[in-house]
Amino acid sequence: MTVKHKRPTRFDYDLIIVGSGAGGGVAAHMASSKGKKVAIVEQETIGGECPNYGCVPTKALLRAAELYHDASEVAPQFGVNATNVSLNMTSVKKWKDLAVKRTGTSAGDRAFAAEGITVLKGHGHFITPWELSVGNKRYTSKQFIVATGTKDFIPPVEGLKSAGFITYHKAINLTKLPKSMLVIGGGAIGTEFTHLFNKFGVEVTQVEFAPRLLAREEPESSELIQALFERDGVNVLTGAEVYKVTKDRAKKVVHVRQGKKLHEFRVDEILVAAGKRPNVDLGLENTGVSYTKHGITTNKMMQTSAKHIYATGDVVGPYAFTHMASYQSRIAAHNILHRQKIKASYHAVPRCTFTSPEVASVGMTEEEARQKGIKVKVKSVPISIIGRSNTSNQSAGFVKVIAAPSGVLIGGTVIAPRGGEMMQELALAVHNGLKARDVAATIHAFPTWSEAVRIACAGIK
Amino acid sequence: MANSNHIVKRAGHTEPYDERKVYASVYSACMAVRETQATAELVADKVTEEMKTWLNKKHEVTSHDIRTHAAVHLKNYNDDAAWILKHHRNIS
Repeated sequence: MTVKHKRPTRFDYDLIIVGSGAGGGVAAHMASSKGKKVAIVEQETIGGECPNYGCVPTKALLRAAELYHDASEVAPQFGVNATNVSLNMTSVKKWKDLAVKRTGTSAGDRAFAAEGITVLKGHGHFITPWELSVGNKRYTSKQFIVATGTKDFIPPVEGLKSAGFITYHKAINLTKLPKSMLVIGGGAIGTEFTHLFNKFGVEVTQVEFAPRLLAREEPESSELIQALFERDGVNVLTGAEVYKVTKDRAKKVVHVRQGKKLHEFRVDEILVAAGKRPNVDLGLENTGVSYTKHGITTNKMMQTSAKHIYATGDVVGPYAFTHMASYQSRIAAHNILHRQKIKASYHAVPRCTFTSPEVASVGMTEEEARQKGIKVKVKSVPISIIGRSNTSNQSAGFVKVIAAPSGVLIGGTVIAPRGGEMMQELALAVHNGLKARDVAATIHAFPTWSEAVRIACAGIK
Repeated sequence: MANSNHIVKRAGHTEPYDERKVYASVYSACMAVRETQATAELVADKVTEEMKTWLNKKHEVTSHDIRTHAAVHLKNYNDDAAWILKHHRNIS
């Protein structure tokens, strides 16, 4: 039964934000700079997932892993001989910790306080639509933003818990590498960790339930990444499911079903990267905020079904990226602060999976466009045709651009050593409705990887 | 800790969380769907324990939260009993 709550006449705050990650922090700074009385609630580490457990530490580790791999495996191709290349994981962790520290999250409380933002440490739980319980106090606010992010989904696999496993929270802090590892999950996180541990020299098996890795990307991206992983010694199983885990002394025995085939893998460690679930355990039932298993439902202004409560970031979707969360946070803050409302648009969201080469994309995939009934024009070019590929001795990758019949770019994929940076040119084009010929007519420096973008765009007639 | 949790009642006042009430409600819901006494006790024990974990770090929750979440946990053991717990406020 829904209980009607009377709106208070006085409030402790103008805005309380639950969650200090990208979805919350950006809005906190914006509202505070406009003179609003703001509090931010955080039960864990200030800054949330990205700087503490996600993007930042993984990219720092990846840098170390690729240096190690390149020094020992790649350098000799160029006449560079590095002898006695070795790995000290304690030092690697120290480097990772330094990168995390430099994001400033460790001083996060002070940074918020310096701007007059109150940090409330503890779990936030709505008691009424206007009251949030944190610690042993209750706070009222005129408006709220819920930016509570996600938690790991642990698949209900028989024996998994008793055999033991790690998630990325622990994987980023290993000071001793396992000899062998099985990664459950072939999305962006599972694929990045497969790449990371493979470059560190761990024997990796990756198991994905979907028919291909990186299932949200173009099929040819999945094919190429799987082929490169297999070339590098990763054992990839797609369309496969871990159904049981047992122990055999120190080893974990992972039982995998792939169609009618049954496989057994004896590994030292299991990394679970099987997806995320929204953190909606904060008394939303007491507020009138609607949510589903996919997250909190909002309109394009990031407003929930309770008009004074907004929601942003991974707890909303449709993409779980830091840049998505900060974008939504800006939208929510603007709409809280101004009468003239703005709406979120997701037609040019950049995505990047940090493998080597990187898999980066923006806008619609070819299949998505066709499903929407768009008669697309498509052009793909391999990066091997450009000068930089020759001078770098790296030929695996391609650029694929997708345009509407008018020639307006609506999506693109780049797989290349600096795919993430290259894709931004396409993101700019898609965001601004540029035509492929506009990009093709732009002079691109020689010899850069980005020449492949120009050549692909020139192929759209 | 669970014993420092407070429940905000519908009328607006608060009272300390009493896990015996949860136990009694779950037990009664199970008995209402003709579970055996032994099963009802076992399930009530498990749900009470799971509620303790759920309440960890939460200082205040509403009585509505308690009912909703106890029903969510109970659903794992008995769907019908969970429905009764969620929809009949006076069960205990």
